Amino acid sequence: MSLLSLANVSVRYGRLTAVRKVSFAMKEGEILFITGPNGAGKSSLLRAIAGVTLPANGRIDFDGHDITGRAPEDIARLGISMVPEGRDVFGGLSIEENLMVGTGMHSHERGWRARAQNELAAVYATFPILKERRHSQAGLLSGGQQQMLVIGRALMTHPRLIAIDEPSLGLAPNITDQVYERLIALQKERKLTLLIVEQSSTRAMLVGGRMMLMRGGEILLDGDARALGQSEAMQAAYFGYGDH
Amino acid sequence: MGASVIRRTIATPVFLSLLLVAFAVTAWAVGSRPFNQTIIDIFLQVIFVVGLWIFVGNSGVISFGHIAFACLGGYVAAWTTIKPMMKGNAMPGLPDWLMGMEIPFWAAAGLGAFWAALWALIFGLVLMRLSGIAASIATFAMLAMVNSIYSNWESVTAATSSVVGIPIVRTVWPYLIAAVLAVFVAWAFAISRHGLALRAARDEPTAAAASGVNISRMRLIAFVISAAVMGMGGTLYAHSIGVVTPDTFYLGLTFTTLSMLVVGGMGSLSGAVIGVLILSSLIQVLRWLEAGVQVGASTFALPGGVQEIALGVVMILILMFRPAGIMGNSELNLPNRRSDKAGQPAPTRVL
Amino acid sequence: MGQILQVVFDALSLGSLYALAALGIALIFGVMKLVNFAHGDVIAFSVFALLWPSVDAVAIIFAGNLPWFLLIPFVLAIGAGLSVLSEIVVFRRFRRANPATMMIASFALGFVIRYFLLMLFSSRPKSISLLPALSQPVEIFGARIPLLQLITILITMAVLIGLTAFLRRTRFGLEMRAAAENFTMARMLGVRANRVIMGAFALSGALAAAIALILGSQTGTANIMMGANVMLMAFIATVIGGMGSLAGAVLAGFLLGAIATVMQTILPPDARAFRDAFVYGAVILVLIFRPQGILSARGTKERV
Repeated sequence: MSLLSLANVSVRYGRLTAVRKVSFAMKEGEILFITGPNGAGKSSLLRAIAGVTLPANGRIDFDGHDITGRAPEDIARLGISMVPEGRDVFGGLSIEENLMVGTGMHSHERGWRARAQNELAAVYATFPILKERRHSQAGLLSGGQQQMLVIGRALMTHPRLIAIDEPSLGLAPNITDQVYERLIALQKERKLTLLIVEQSSTRAMLVGGRMMLMRGGEILLDGDARALGQSEAMQAAYFGYGDH
Repeated sequence: MGASVIRRTIATPVFLSLLLVAFAVTAWAVGSRPFNQTIIDIFLQVIFVVGLWIFVGNSGVISFGHIAFACLGGYVAAWTTIKPMMKGNAMPGLPDWLMGMEIPFWAAAGLGAFWAALWALIFGLVLMRLSGIAASIATFAMLAMVNSIYSNWESVTAATSSVVGIPIVRTVWPYLIAAVLAVFVAWAFAISRHGLALRAARDEPTAAAASGVNISRMRLIAFVISAAVMGMGGTLYAHSIGVVTPDTFYLGLTFTTLSMLVVGGMGSLSGAVIGVLILSSLIQVLRWLEAGVQVGASTFALPGGVQEIALGVVMILILMFRPAGIMGNSELNLPNRRSDKAGQPAPTRVL
Repeated sequence: MGQILQVVFDALSLGSLYALAALGIALIFGVMKLVNFAHGDVIAFSVFALLWPSVDAVAIIFAGNLPWFLLIPFVLAIGAGLSVLSEIVVFRRFRRANPATMMIASFALGFVIRYFLLMLFSSRPKSISLLPALSQPVEIFGARIPLLQLITILITMAVLIGLTAFLRRTRFGLEMRAAAENFTMARMLGVRANRVIMGAFALSGALAAAIALILGSQTGTANIMMGANVMLMAFIATVIGGMGSLAGAVLAGFLLGAIATVMQTILPPDARAFRDAFVYGAVILVLIFRPQGILSARGTKERV
């Protein structure tokens, strides 16, 4: 059974259709890259899954629950953790406070505080720089550190699926390498399901996994990242050759 | 082709004016004093709401301060039209040239418009540098500032006491003419280069900024013109009741004016006018009920305050269920064969 | 020396009022971008809750006869309750509306509350004697300070310290601060929107009630318009404090209190009546040079 499935999901802003009848499904533990040019509707799709934008129609299911149009906090509580584009850290909060915000969703469970502390230790072990600077304001961190912070913050909620919007945006290539290395290690360790949006397909080809290409609000291609990345169809679809 | 030009140019203000003329003719035909006064109130309210619309409707910035301009205009009536002898008692601090002045009401209305526009220019140079919510709050501060000055400047405004002796104008026609004038001024501004640029900036702020449109200058122009209309309205208001106090032109009138604009629809001039007509009717019915109605042997009367409560509730409900107001962004116009307005953009459902 | 001290105390107590009100405005603005024009009417309502409805000039004290240790929590609960009720009945439906629409809705709601009071109590100010023991003066370093002024300052300090501790040390406070910085992101981390917003409204309403108690004791009158002026100063404080920044709002509140008190002292007697007009003028001047406020908050800049 699939963990996340979308059926005919459309997203509209006024008269503009950003996502047009998109359907796909993800299995638990899968890594899926969604690539495509600017304005393809990738971020809108993620926002619809996270419940931030109401889909105009279609249905989204997660782990057996219909989450279409549910509140973002309910979706988060079901186990989808969203890392939006632009690394939305709470700039005025300390790093540790940033990490702790999401742990409250388990506060009805027994022993959640102890578990949150374990989780915190695990995140600090993965990203030692965060531990070093844990009492400084998150707004003062560098771009790469902020990216690590938001990934760590997503992990703190103990999600089953993490959706990340452009983790490499504005980062130097070697920092991006670091971020991905940690991310993939975590994915293996925890059997996480990863949904990653990137503009280019190079990262997907390096990491491997499944890749979809979006353009004009539609999914044009879907397949193995490495195989697709080298195909001519990919190039053509990305740049829109042969459309007109 | 010809029809289309008319449609785009003067059809809307002509329609709205005809609507107002119909009201005036009804009042004249009925010939009852209270009804006459009601129609005058409606015309004054049209002037205020249309004046407010010139700024709010085009710039998209909510102003809580425009009634301050009506206040400026109202006191111009007191300064220039009361008999010099009476003026000396109430406002001994006026300069001699103003003390001796006694001009007809229409000249006072012109002066009121000018005086309000002048202050709008001064205030606007500062306020128009702000945007969004900060600008709205600053307009509110402007209202409080003007009210505070007029409530305390004993020798020139008689402070909070009523200034009486303003010649009362009882026929509907001058108010009709002023309301029609306000409608045409508003329309002329809306279809002018500045009005179009301002509305484009309202809808697409990023694009407008990128295209080099000087938004604060456009807003300033709208602010000054709308203040002039409010000032004229304020002077005429004073002439309709013969008295002014600073609190006549404060939160109560601000609330009424804003609620009419919201209910009618901030996006369209027709909305502004229709909002006045609808809410004024509602207010009339409620006033009548507050005064008491004979039902059989007993008198049924609503307690005072119900009028404002009802207005507030209507306003909240409209904002909840039809935030663009009754008219939305469309204008009263000749029927259009191409239905290019059918697909109103749905409100963006983004948090 | 005594005179300077007097001015300092005047400035601090007036500033306390403005700071408490600004905090109430900024708390709600922070979590839902609502400029709450009904805040002043919550202040008025909290005072009138102590009276029995009547349109006579003499107030019929009702709950106002409670001993102070019951009276204060009662008024705070009334303020918080009305504020939360306004959230549930009105503002919840505007969650997805733009800030301008919400602002107008709050303006309308304020009028509904005000005229509800007018309907029950008439628009005439009523004299009330609230906590009369507090109007005696005390002598500090040669300055005669009304006890109430001293208590106002102390209570404000206590509220500010308590609120800071609440925001910094509790889970709810953490969620609230996160929500104030980036509401959507906080929700995506599972922070319950309704809970945080209701918490903000409850706190804001309790702050309004605290102002009501202070104003009522200070002036000895209950007036349906009594909150309007404080609210306006609070708006201005939140703007120059940088919309949504709590610390900025408080600082700006004290600053306004200081400006107003100094104006009162240095202006010639004829011009003192125009004190508030001068304060608004000074604020407008500040805004020319710092349109984003004195302390602009991170992440709360308006998005275009």
